[in-house]
Amino acid sequence: MGRSGEIALRMVGITKRFPGVLANNNITLEVRAGEVRGLLGENGAGKTTLMNILYGLHQPDSGEIFLNGDKVEISSPREANDLGIGMVHQHFMLVENLTALENVVLGLPLEHPPLLDLEPARARFKKLANEYGLGLDPSTPIWQLSVGDRQWLEILKLLFREARILILDEPTSVLAPSQAERLFETIRRLADKGRSIVFISHKLREMKEVADRVTVLRDGHVVGTVDPRETSPTELAQMMVGRNVFLDRRPRPPAESKQAVLVVDGLSCQDDRGVPALRDLSLTVHAGEIVGVAGVAGNGQRELAECIAGLRRPMKGTIRINEELITGVTRDPSLLGYIPEDRRKTGLVADLTVEENLIIKAFDKPPFARRGILQWSEIRDRANTLIQEYDIRTPHPAIPLRHLSGGNQQRVVVARELNAEPALLVASQPTRGLDVASVEAIHSMLLQERNRGAAVLFISTELPEVLAVSDRILVFFKGEIMGELNAEAADVTLIGEMMLGHRERTE
Amino acid sequence: MNERETIELSGLGGLVLPYARPLLGIALALLVSAGLILATGANPMVAYAAMLQGAFGSVAALANTGVRAAPLLLSGFAVGLGYKAGLWNIGGTGQIYLGATTATVVGIIPLPVPAWLHLLLAVVAGFVGGALWMLIPAYLCAYRGVNLVCTTLMLDYVAGHLVSWLLHEPSPLAEKGTFYPMSPPILPSARLPILVKGTSLHAGFVLAVALGVVLHLVLRYTPFGFRTRMVGENPEAARYAGVDVVRWILLVLLICGGLAGLAGAGEVLGLKLRLFDYFEGFVGFEGLALAIMVEGNPLGIILAGIFFGSLKAGAGKMQIVTGIGAPMALVIEALAVLFVIAIGFGERGGFAQRQQKKTRGKEG
Repeated sequence: MGRSGEIALRMVGITKRFPGVLANNNITLEVRAGEVRGLLGENGAGKTTLMNILYGLHQPDSGEIFLNGDKVEISSPREANDLGIGMVHQHFMLVENLTALENVVLGLPLEHPPLLDLEPARARFKKLANEYGLGLDPSTPIWQLSVGDRQWLEILKLLFREARILILDEPTSVLAPSQAERLFETIRRLADKGRSIVFISHKLREMKEVADRVTVLRDGHVVGTVDPRETSPTELAQMMVGRNVFLDRRPRPPAESKQAVLVVDGLSCQDDRGVPALRDLSLTVHAGEIVGVAGVAGNGQRELAECIAGLRRPMKGTIRINEELITGVTRDPSLLGYIPEDRRKTGLVADLTVEENLIIKAFDKPPFARRGILQWSEIRDRANTLIQEYDIRTPHPAIPLRHLSGGNQQRVVVARELNAEPALLVASQPTRGLDVASVEAIHSMLLQERNRGAAVLFISTELPEVLAVSDRILVFFKGEIMGELNAEAADVTLIGEMMLGHRERTE
Repeated sequence: MNERETIELSGLGGLVLPYARPLLGIALALLVSAGLILATGANPMVAYAAMLQGAFGSVAALANTGVRAAPLLLSGFAVGLGYKAGLWNIGGTGQIYLGATTATVVGIIPLPVPAWLHLLLAVVAGFVGGALWMLIPAYLCAYRGVNLVCTTLMLDYVAGHLVSWLLHEPSPLAEKGTFYPMSPPILPSARLPILVKGTSLHAGFVLAVALGVVLHLVLRYTPFGFRTRMVGENPEAARYAGVDVVRWILLVLLICGGLAGLAGAGEVLGLKLRLFDYFEGFVGFEGLALAIMVEGNPLGIILAGIFFGSLKAGAGKMQIVTGIGAPMALVIEALAVLFVIAIGFGERGGFAQRQQKKTRGKEG
C-alpha cells in the first residue's frame, strides 16, 4: 500500500532540549502526500514534543522544517494553521457552551465583518460533514456531543481550515473500539484525498490497522521506520521499549478454589446523571482467579467498581466480600484493594507528598497516629519500605506526588492497595494511559495476586488485555452481563457481539 | 506547607527562602508605596521612619501594634483553615459582627459567677456566635453545593445591618441616649485583662498567637489536620479514604466561623468594651488578604498579621509627622497582597504559558 505521492513534509535534524531532558535528538521525518504515518513510542519518547514543534508550540534548538520543498519557520499554531498544518490534541479544545458550528469558526476571520454571519459557514460545515460521512449537526451544543462526535468535530475543524497535514495525538484513547474503527476509516478517506496524516499512538494494533509506515521513537531519537504489515507486534514493541516485552497470555496453574470471595447479588444502581447503570447484576469471584470484565466503556463497569469500593450507593442488591456486607467505604486493607479507573481523581492526592499518599487510608490508625498525634517517623519508615519494595522512583518520600511520572504514581496506588494482601482486588482500567513496560508490570502484578490466592476483578475496555490476563470473562452491556466465557478458549467474535448487546446463545 | 520556596530572579538566579514570596511581595509594596508618598511631596524615608517609630519605637507603640494585630490574626486563621480545606470563607466580616454581638450579650449581663468564668463564657459565646452565623452558608455549601463565596459574602452585609438594627432603640442591646449607636459597656468581670499597664494591650493578642501555634500543630501533627488537607486537595480521594467529606466541610467551616467570631469577641471584650455600630472596619477582608499571602499557613498568618498590625499602628505617627493619611497603611497592605499573588502566578507562568503546558500533555 505504498502510496507514493510527493514529499509533503520534511523535518530534518530536529533537536529539542528541555531542562534535564533531551526530548528530541536529531530527528528526521519525511511524510508524503496521501500517507498515513504512525508515530509510535512510549510516554516520554518525544512524539508529542516533535509534533508540538511542527505545530509551532515549541521552537526546536536546531533543525529545519520543509513543506512541499520550501523551508518554513513555524513560530505559533496560527502560523501552522496558515501553512495548512492542523492538530487534534489528546484533550479536546472545544468550548462546551458553544455549538459545533461556533466552535469550528472560532478564531477564523468573519465573513461579513463586523457582523457574525454563520450561514456560509453552516453550508460548508454540512458539505464537509457529508463528504467525510461525519454525521454532525452544526447547531448541537458541545456538551450534548458524545466523545466520538467531539473527535469528528475536531477533525472537521481542521478540514474547515483546509489543513493538508493533520496531526492526531493519541486519538483513540477516548474512543470505544467501534468508534475507533470509524475513525480509521475516516483517516483512510482523508489520505485518499491526498492529505498527509501523522498518527501518534503507543498502541501497536492501531498502527497495523491504519498506518502506511510507522516511525518508532525511543528516548528522543528515531529507532527506525517500518511497514507495520511486515513487522510483528513483538518486533514493534521491542523497538519501542528497547528490550523484550511480554503482553501475551502467560501460562498459569489452573484456578481450583471454590471459595467465593466477592459475591454480588441483584445489584442495581444509577450513574452520575441518575440513569440506571447496573440492572439486577449478580456475579461471584473466587479466591485465586481473575475475572475479567469486558465491554465498551460506559456500560456499568465503573459503577460496579465504585459500588464495591463503597463510593456509590446501590439502589438494590447486596455486595459481600468474604461474607462481610459492604455498605460504605471499606477501610480494612486486608479485605479490599482498589485500583480506581481515574487514579488522579480517586486514588491519589496530587499535592500531598508521596509518603502521605501511601497512608491515606490508614493515617488515623496506629502505628501512624497514636493518641491523636501523627507519627511522622513511622510514616516515613513505611514509605521507605514501600518505595523499595514496589520500586517507586521518587527522589524523596516527602516530595509532592504530582512530580512523579504516571507509571510511578500508579505504583504508589498499587503499593498502598496491595501491601496488606487484600482478599479481593478490584482493578478498574489499571493500565490506562501507561506505557508498554508499565502495562507489562501491571499484568504480572495481577497474576501474582491471583497466584497468592486473591480474588481479582479486572475491568478493562481493551479486549486483548482482558483475554490475556483473565481466567473467566464477563461481558457487560448496558449494566447487564451478556455472557460468561472461559478466557483460555474464548471466541473473540462472540465477545465482540456480546459487547454490542447480543446475548450468549444458549444451546 | 510552603516551607521551601524557590523564586527565580532574572539575573540573580534562584532565591530559596522560607516565605520568600511574601517577603519579596512586601518589599515591592513598600517600594511602590514609597513612590506614592513621594508623589504627595513627602520624603518616603521620613515617612517610613515615622511608621517604624509608631509601630516599634516604644512600649506604647509595640502595644499598639499588638492590639491592632490581634483581630487580624484571628480573622486570618478563619480564612486560612478554610483555605487548607479548599474552602473560601469570605464571610469574616459577618462572623466578626455576630461573634462580637453574642460576646457582648453575655458580657453585659451580670452573671452570678466568678470573673474568670464570666470572661470565659463571653469568649465562648463569641466563638459560638461566629460559628452559628456560618451555619447557613456551611450547610448550603456542604449539603446543597451552593457556592460558599457568594453566601458568605452576602451575609457580611446582612450581619452589619443586623447588628446596626440591634444597636438602635428600642432594642434591649442599645444604650439609651447616646450620640452614636452602641451597646451598654461590657461588665468588668467579662473584660480581657490588660497585659501592660498604661497601654491597651489586652490578653487577646497573646491568645491569638497561641491559637495560631496550636492550629499549626493540629494541621501538621494530627489526623484532623491530615483529613482537612486531604479534603482540601482532593475531596474525591478523601471520600475514598473513608472521610465523610460533607460533614467534614461542615465541621471545618463552623470552626472557621468560630475563629472569626473570636476576633469580634476580642475586640469588644478587650479593646472597645462596647459594641459599636459598624465597628468592624476592614478586619474581615484583611484576614482574607493575610491568608492568601501565606497560603493559609497559621505561622505565616501570625507573622504577616503582626506586620499588618504594625502598618496600622505606625500609620498614625506617619500622619502626624508627614501629613500623609493613615489609609496609606491599607494601600501598602493591598499592594503587598497583589505583589505576592502576582509573583505566585509568575512562577506558574502566564495564561498563555499554562495553556501550552496543558497541550504538551503527558510528554514533556
